[in-house]
Amino acid sequence: MPMDRYADMENKLRILEDLNMMYIRQIALSLQDSDIQKKIDHEIRMRDGACKLLAACSQRDQALEAAKSLLTCNTRIMAYMSELQRMKEAQVMQRVARRSDGTRSSDAGPMDDRLPCKGKVAISDLRIPLMWKDTEYFKNKGELHRCAVFCLLQVGGEIHDTDMVMVDRTLTDICFDNTIVFSEASPGFELRVELYSCCSEEDYSAGSAPRKLASKLSSSLGRSAGKKLRVAMDPGACSPTSNGGAVTLLLPGHAVAGPKYHLLAHTSLSLSHVQDSFRTHDLSISGNEDCSYWVPLYGSVCCRLAAQPHCMTQQMMSGCLKVKQLGGDPQSWTNVYGVLKGTNLFCYHRQEDMEANVEPAFTIAINKETRIRASEKDPHSKAQSICISNQYGGEEVTHTLSADSHEETHRWMEAFWQQFYDMSQWKQCCDDLMKIELPSPRKPALVTSKQGSLYHEIVIDTSDDISTVTDILTRRMQELELRSQLGTSPPWMSLFEESPGGPRTPRLARHSPRSPHRLPHSPLSPLRCPWPGLLSSDASLTSDSDSPCSTSPCSRHRGWAEPLSSPRFRPRTLSLDAKLSTLRGRGYGGVLQCSCQPPSSSSLGPIPAQCVPQATLSCSSSTSSNSSSEGSHSPSSLDGTPFSRPSSARRSLRNVRAKLDPRNWLQSQV
Amino acid sequence: MSFIPGQPVTAVVQRIEIRKLQHGEHLILGFSIGGGIDQDPGQNPFSEDKSDKGIYVTRVTPGGPAEVAGLMMGDKVMQVNGWDMTMVTHDQARKRLTKKDEDIVRLLVTRKSLEQAVRHSMM
Repeated sequence: MPMDRYADMENKLRILEDLNMMYIRQIALSLQDSDIQKKIDHEIRMRDGACKLLAACSQRDQALEAAKSLLTCNTRIMAYMSELQRMKEAQVMQRVARRSDGTRSSDAGPMDDRLPCKGKVAISDLRIPLMWKDTEYFKNKGELHRCAVFCLLQVGGEIHDTDMVMVDRTLTDICFDNTIVFSEASPGFELRVELYSCCSEEDYSAGSAPRKLASKLSSSLGRSAGKKLRVAMDPGACSPTSNGGAVTLLLPGHAVAGPKYHLLAHTSLSLSHVQDSFRTHDLSISGNEDCSYWVPLYGSVCCRLAAQPHCMTQQMMSGCLKVKQLGGDPQSWTNVYGVLKGTNLFCYHRQEDMEANVEPAFTIAINKETRIRASEKDPHSKAQSICISNQYGGEEVTHTLSADSHEETHRWMEAFWQQFYDMSQWKQCCDDLMKIELPSPRKPALVTSKQGSLYHEIVIDTSDDISTVTDILTRRMQELELRSQLGTSPPWMSLFEESPGGPRTPRLARHSPRSPHRLPHSPLSPLRCPWPGLLSSDASLTSDSDSPCSTSPCSRHRGWAEPLSSPRFRPRTLSLDAKLSTLRGRGYGGVLQCSCQPPSSSSLGPIPAQCVPQATLSCSSSTSSNSSSEGSHSPSSLDGTPFSRPSSARRSLRNVRAKLDPRNWLQSQV
Repeated sequence: MSFIPGQPVTAVVQRIEIRKLQHGEHLILGFSIGGGIDQDPGQNPFSEDKSDKGIYVTRVTPGGPAEVAGLMMGDKVMQVNGWDMTMVTHDQARKRLTKKDEDIVRLLVTRKSLEQAVRHSMM
């Protein structure tokens, strides 16, 4: 309502007028409350830091974060100041009362006023649904209008902010992952949730020039203004002229240029909203569509508000007791160590049991249904005893407690009354202990899914070799064999046949289902050379390559030796890899290309008529699978001695391949 | 330590002067570098921003000239003898450090602790 806001603004201005920085310190000192003073000092320093950062940073993200911390600091300072003012007023009132009464007013209130225990209040999993117009939502052209939003949560003097979230039309909800815990909240707490937003335009078309100018002007001050500001910024300044400067400094966002957050929506939550599950609450939205910081909110906020009153989590009372169950032997008192916590009175045999976390001997429930009264004097003992009655099922069970002395009994009664009072104040929070997950101090680093490149997503097994392709081909051939009686074999079969005349150019690329990045795409010319030539190059192949997968070429080597004209299809006979390697090697005559990346190389060129067995064949595909393991240690770790350099040709070949493999992150020794 | 294209890069740097050591027929500095604009920045274990393609010191040989001069593992090399190292390929970086006719290299390196120290002194 406008009246509220006006009153609020009035309030703020009044506070500001009353207090400037010097005055605050004086008040704090006079109250001898160094706690608040320290807090204010801390916040003012944080605010200075945020202002400086805002002036200095150039990136939009940084500026938004700095502006957010600035807003939080300002709000905190306001809260501390109003608390200080309240305390000062209370002190003044006390003094006045004391003077008029002439009596000690150390206990300011009536003795009977019981204060409920405090508790922890936690709000988590904040989610604010958005309501984009369907035209907006599905638009995938045009610039993305983005806003930076965050929530400010306040309980009394404790103010916390959530992380900042960038909102654009691709988002359906604003989610804040933070869990915020307020440690000392009374049952009558009011948790104020405020949503701030600031528009973050990507292009600085029209607004940039004046903004840049403004930031330049604000950071380069004239002499007198600079002097004033410098004095004001120095918290230790004692001169009276610091008043004016201090006031301008305290007005939020006044002296600082940069992104400004505006209140978009707010709501207040209290004890009635506390529940152990998610609930939806209404938001009051301020601002309308025409504002630059507008984000179309659906109008509600969903969150989990949990509370743990101290009476449920802490031991409220403990001591030695004698317990007797009604209906039992009047003389059968049991000595126990009783601990009142939550909705139970735990009775341990000894105090050490409680500390050792042993199960209690028995437990007496203390909840809303329990009835406790002090019984009349037991004829057998001097002190009064306490009777606790509970309804278990249909029966009423009564325990009688007796303490050692009158004072002890009195203390226990007090504790019980306090417990009942707390439970009546905290209401549904005392039915069961609500779980509050404390936010872990370190956010676990998001694992590489964002950082990995496409190369990491391609799983490459060292055994994932052309050999698997040959296996597939073999299998297919075995199927096809049944059909191939007619002689309609797939075109690539000709590769393995001794076909002297057929200039068929089978295209292997079409038949490589599994690992396309392994096989070359260019056509293969049929084999023209006599077998012995092939065999010799095979020999060089197997002797050269020193990879763990070299067993496959070795085994295939045998396969080659057998005549292929007979359709005896064993997996070993189709040593496609050996075949390809030899063709490749021959084609290039020693010029090395990294053949495992299809786009970068066409590894097979036209094969010359005379086959020239090449000895420098280390370009077989099976070794390339090792490049990933080698490459990342490329020259530096190949040798034991730290300062030597790799010198062999093979190593340099491996290095080149390793360098060209984009999956590696090279390290060089200098 | 990311950058905006077109905007100047600023960093708090430390000057490190390394005298090369004669080891056999090579002049060595005693550290290893990683990174470069042709490398995958996501695999850099030392960079804060995983899109930073700068040159980082990945290893410092104990007792070597680099360690003596104060180079530390994880440092980002910004300049070598006046040549920029923030926008070079890995090989270019290596070459700038291993010039045969230079026996002293003056590096400008930056590390996180330097920025923090300055920030603390400013607060």
